[in-house]
Amino acid sequence: MKEILKFDNIKAYWAETVTASPWVAVIRSLVRREARAMSAPIVQPASVAGRALTVVIAIMCFLACLTAGAVYIVNQSANDWFADIASEVTVQVIPVEAAEFEKKVTLVSLFLAKQAGIVKVSPLSAEESGELLKPWLGNSDALSALPVPRLIAVEIDRASPPDMSVVRRALESNFRDVTLDDHRRWQSELRTVTRSMALGGFAVLILVGAATVASIVSATKSAMASNREIIEVLHFVGARERFIAHEFEKHFLNIGVRAGLVGALGASVMFLLLPVVMRVLSGGGLAAAEFRQLVGSAVLDWQGYLLFGAVVVVVASLCMLTSRYGVYRILKSHD
Amino acid sequence: MIRFENVGLRYGLGPEVLRDVDFHLVRGSFHFLTGPSGAGKTSLLRLLLMSLRPSRGLIHLFGQNCADLPSPERADLRRRIGIVFQDFRLLDHLTTWENVALPLRVFGKSEASYSEDVTDLLKWVGLGDRMTAYPEVLSGGEKQRAAIARAVIGKPELLLADEPTGNVDPNMANRLLRLFIELNRLGTSVIIATHDFQLMDQCDAPRMVLNEGNLEVR
Ligand SMILES: Nc1ncnc2c1ncn2[C@@H]1O[C@H](COP(=O)(O)OP(=O)(O)O)[C@@H](O)[C@H]1O
Ligand SMILES: [Mg+2]
Repeated sequence: MKEILKFDNIKAYWAETVTASPWVAVIRSLVRREARAMSAPIVQPASVAGRALTVVIAIMCFLACLTAGAVYIVNQSANDWFADIASEVTVQVIPVEAAEFEKKVTLVSLFLAKQAGIVKVSPLSAEESGELLKPWLGNSDALSALPVPRLIAVEIDRASPPDMSVVRRALESNFRDVTLDDHRRWQSELRTVTRSMALGGFAVLILVGAATVASIVSATKSAMASNREIIEVLHFVGARERFIAHEFEKHFLNIGVRAGLVGALGASVMFLLLPVVMRVLSGGGLAAAEFRQLVGSAVLDWQGYLLFGAVVVVVASLCMLTSRYGVYRILKSHD
Repeated sequence: MIRFENVGLRYGLGPEVLRDVDFHLVRGSFHFLTGPSGAGKTSLLRLLLMSLRPSRGLIHLFGQNCADLPSPERADLRRRIGIVFQDFRLLDHLTTWENVALPLRVFGKSEASYSEDVTDLLKWVGLGDRMTAYPEVLSGGEKQRAAIARAVIGKPELLLADEPTGNVDPNMANRLLRLFIELNRLGTSVIIATHDFQLMDQCDAPRMVLNEGNLEVR
């Protein structure tokens, strides 16, 4: 037991498993210029196949980040939308006894304000209620003569929403000709739209992901084929499999991280420019507001950029693992 | 040091290239391995390097049965063997110096510890002024000597050379033979695969003759 806990053992474990990881080597080389040995690297740094791989990785990473970012934004704004709708209900008071009408609206409003989970109650005035009907009835005097129902906008606490059926029952037992509309139908429709949008986004993401995996694996494989000679010679002069695999993992992880970062950076620039482009396209003003409502703010938050980091890690790991597999496959025919 | 017992070899489902090969080589020996083209010389060297497994029979290298060894230990045994390939197999992206230093680098030694040895060896084989040249621009004879230097830099106990004089003129062939004899005097066992009778006549070493899959030591 004591043996295991010895500091030297921990240090050795650290040296063997952690610092020997190709990730550590590559990150170190990104952060600072290594004190370069006199000799060229064992794995050829810039072969034609290697350059082709770099281009493929950068492009696929760019596309994958664009897709991931777009799906993320669409999901995000759909959620915001949904939350906005869900946090509002409307109460409609139907004018039956004209004399007591104003008083009734006030009473209903006060009753609603007392209920738990309701943040704000704003009754619409007679004029405002009339305004809402104008598009249908036109600007006629008839409006003032008609018994226009009065609307009360109720904002509910998103953190602890009240049970709507309880509120409805309370309303109906205390008042007559008062109805509560919690936009349930509209909500369920919206939920369907949101869900199918998210599903469509994920489907696209999966397709792009599959294309990325396939093209990176095949480009890495062809880059490995040009390294067959190096692998065989290393093997014949007595290199262990692990040494050879490690050299190649380091090399291909390096390519993967660098090219992946270029692709992700390109996608980041696109997303940073997107709000500006949208403002230009929509020409500002009312149209812009409508446009924004449709696609959300189109601003990627930091979690979205974190997603890009994940894409780079996955792409670079893929590149590394494929090269490792390639090494062992070539060595198998020689041992 | 090396023992073959009833070794047979076939590639895939093809005919047996080697049949019942039996021999025993002691430390410090010097042998030619000969036979017509296609007789199996290269195949035999590959068996010695453990880059092929025999279809049957036993191979003992340095007192160990190769068949039982796990991969890392086979790699360690390979470090005690130097090989000169028929086609040199120098790495094109490394200089002559780096190619020769490769085995030591692979063994995990620091560049400072072997730098001088590599330079000295290159001078010894007459490549003192070609150290920074890439294999592309080396002549056949220069490549041959670079390949030999790479094979011996790790001070191997056994040196295998596959047709080391196939690409050079008789004069250079002579010099290379003298190089092998010198290494043998320093304690390395040497096996030279060749079908060059002129070369074999230059020195009085036993010949392992391969014929139709059978090996005979004369
Ligand atoms: N990798 C291989 N696959 C199938 N057959 C092979 C392979 N290498 C050699 N052979 C066959 O084995 C025989 C011996 O070849 P080799 O050992 O190269 O002879 P040598 O070196 O004496 O010319 C030849 O008939 C050759 O065609
Ligand atoms: Mg041959």
